[in-house]
Amino acid sequence: MSTQTASKPAPMPATPVRTRKPIDWWRWAGRGILAFLLIFTALPMAWMVITSLKTQLAALQYPPQWWPEEVTFENYLRLLSPNNAIGHEFLQYFWNSLYVSILSTVLGVVVAVPAAYAFSRFRFPGRQALFFSVLLRNMFPAVVFLMPLFLMMKWLGLVNTHGSLILTYLTFGLPLSIWLLKGFYDNIPPQLEQAARIDGATRFQAFFHIVMPLSSPGIIATAIYAFIMAWNEYVYALTFLNSKEMLTLPVGLQRFFAEYATDWPGLMAASFIMSVPVVVLFLVLQKYFVRALTEGAVKS
Amino acid sequence: MAEVVLNEVVKSYGNVYAVNHVSLTVADGEFVALVGPSGCGKTTTLSLVAGLNEITGGEIHIGGRLVNDLDPKDRDIAMVFQNYALYPNKSVFKNLAFPLQMRKLSKAEIERKVMSAAKVLDIVHLLERKPRELSGGQQQRVALGRALVRDPRVFLMDEPLSNLDAKLRVQMRTELKRFHQDLQATVIYVTHDQLEAVTMADKMAVMNGGFLQQYDSPKNVFGNPANMFVASFVGSPAMSLIPLEAVTHGSDVALRSPEGWEMPLSPQNARKALGSTTSKVVLGARHSTVRLHQAETPGAVPGVVYTVEPTGDITFVQVFLGDAVVIVSLDPSFVVEPDQKVWIEFDQERIHLFDGATEKALPAA
Repeated sequence: MSTQTASKPAPMPATPVRTRKPIDWWRWAGRGILAFLLIFTALPMAWMVITSLKTQLAALQYPPQWWPEEVTFENYLRLLSPNNAIGHEFLQYFWNSLYVSILSTVLGVVVAVPAAYAFSRFRFPGRQALFFSVLLRNMFPAVVFLMPLFLMMKWLGLVNTHGSLILTYLTFGLPLSIWLLKGFYDNIPPQLEQAARIDGATRFQAFFHIVMPLSSPGIIATAIYAFIMAWNEYVYALTFLNSKEMLTLPVGLQRFFAEYATDWPGLMAASFIMSVPVVVLFLVLQKYFVRALTEGAVKS
Repeated sequence: MAEVVLNEVVKSYGNVYAVNHVSLTVADGEFVALVGPSGCGKTTTLSLVAGLNEITGGEIHIGGRLVNDLDPKDRDIAMVFQNYALYPNKSVFKNLAFPLQMRKLSKAEIERKVMSAAKVLDIVHLLERKPRELSGGQQQRVALGRALVRDPRVFLMDEPLSNLDAKLRVQMRTELKRFHQDLQATVIYVTHDQLEAVTMADKMAVMNGGFLQQYDSPKNVFGNPANMFVASFVGSPAMSLIPLEAVTHGSDVALRSPEGWEMPLSPQNARKALGSTTSKVVLGARHSTVRLHQAETPGAVPGVVYTVEPTGDITFVQVFLGDAVVIVSLDPSFVVEPDQKVWIEFDQERIHLFDGATEKALPAA
């Protein structure tokens, strides 16, 4: 009797004690670091936005106003209205930047997509050497090429044109674009193209109808990368351009800084506007980034 | 449908021959299986027929037309891939419609053809889905549907069943066979699974090391293997091969083992054995033709039981005759123990003799 009755209630209290999870310190440490990084990156941006909404007087106050007592959009209006001198100048820079960035992005994709596909699919003499020479550029800091490129641009008669910047950004952006896209094409099974070719497509049609849609996340990623690089670039834009109406935003902002040194809210508003296209681009396209890159292409 | 002729087809990469002077004819409406171990050149041969690989030498004709330099799209073939190669970003309907769109058919006609293929394969309810939302068996059907949808002259299939689980594989095997019978289609089917080849094909082409070893009906390949490779590759479990030496005693011929026992040969087998280029002769026997005795029997040779493998309705016993292994199938009620001494009796009518030097089957003289 004793063995039977004693064994029955025993498991009941034992189970809840065991199910309590131990605290996972690694996980919490990771969260802590993430939170710190978030604050580290978001705080300056928040401060930028807050300052851009202040009047000039409020911006210079000490101790600072953590939240503007008098919210004003005047700084933005001034920058965005083409009728006043500052707005006119700013919009010109903005347009220049947009033009250079979009063109170098589009051209970059147009060149990188077939180049990466060729590196991924075809075996040709010098393939390996060529592929690594593509990366060679990235082994040196950009400044090293400043003078040689300037002399080349001068020789080509491209100094003080947007063409010089587009050409430069292309040469800098392409290596990584090609490298990244090649990775995408390597992961698309060649049987898909073979199937398409048997189904009646030419090699190009197979690429266009089957492979390219599958690599669209990669194309978008490289496009965003190229765009941001061109949008933010400063040193080359400063060197190659010299007339005011040709300047791009980073250089133009720097000029603002020199001319209107005390107008912090205006500068912050300009900075904020400059970040808008990049943020919008990301928000619109991020779903392509995240979209399952490894969609069930084939059964493995 | 069309006849496919391979004439001295060669594919080489530098000095490495993936396909070495292969010639075979697939008659109109015939189901031919290319079998062999991995790396034997069977898949390369298929891709040469498809035009996905450039041919190094020889000729390929499809329906009387030389296709050596034709693009895959102009060969009027369809192919089912091992991993199905469904277009992942297209719905099932669009997957099936793609070959028709590429041939610029009208919308109405595409719709009609896709629907009729979908009905045949029972995938109408899946047409709106994406490939990743399908099970392996369903993906298989869609891949087949994409091949079926435009009545090509030849169907090429590259291990289409090898990604399915065992049960589904048997089921699809039956369906494929039925599909071939109904359509009277010319099919070239690559597989490493000799059972698939034996059960489905009208003819099987056994390949090894880029060479065509034997091209015949499954019955003949199984019954009269051309060489030791084919003998050991076709049939499961494999044919037992025992290297022996032919000796003559007056007019009688016997096979002698390194251990010293001798097995007298019937007159017919004796003539075969004497045709060997050297005295080395390899005896081949399928498990079902070998008898096992617990006690010494005249004509039987001694061996030792190595393993006993019951499979349910048949028990396989591996017996060592010296260094060679002989597999015997027994009724499960027959009791033998590992390491037990037994006697093996070969059926003179049903043994195979191979030339020990050339590894080729010895012809009846």
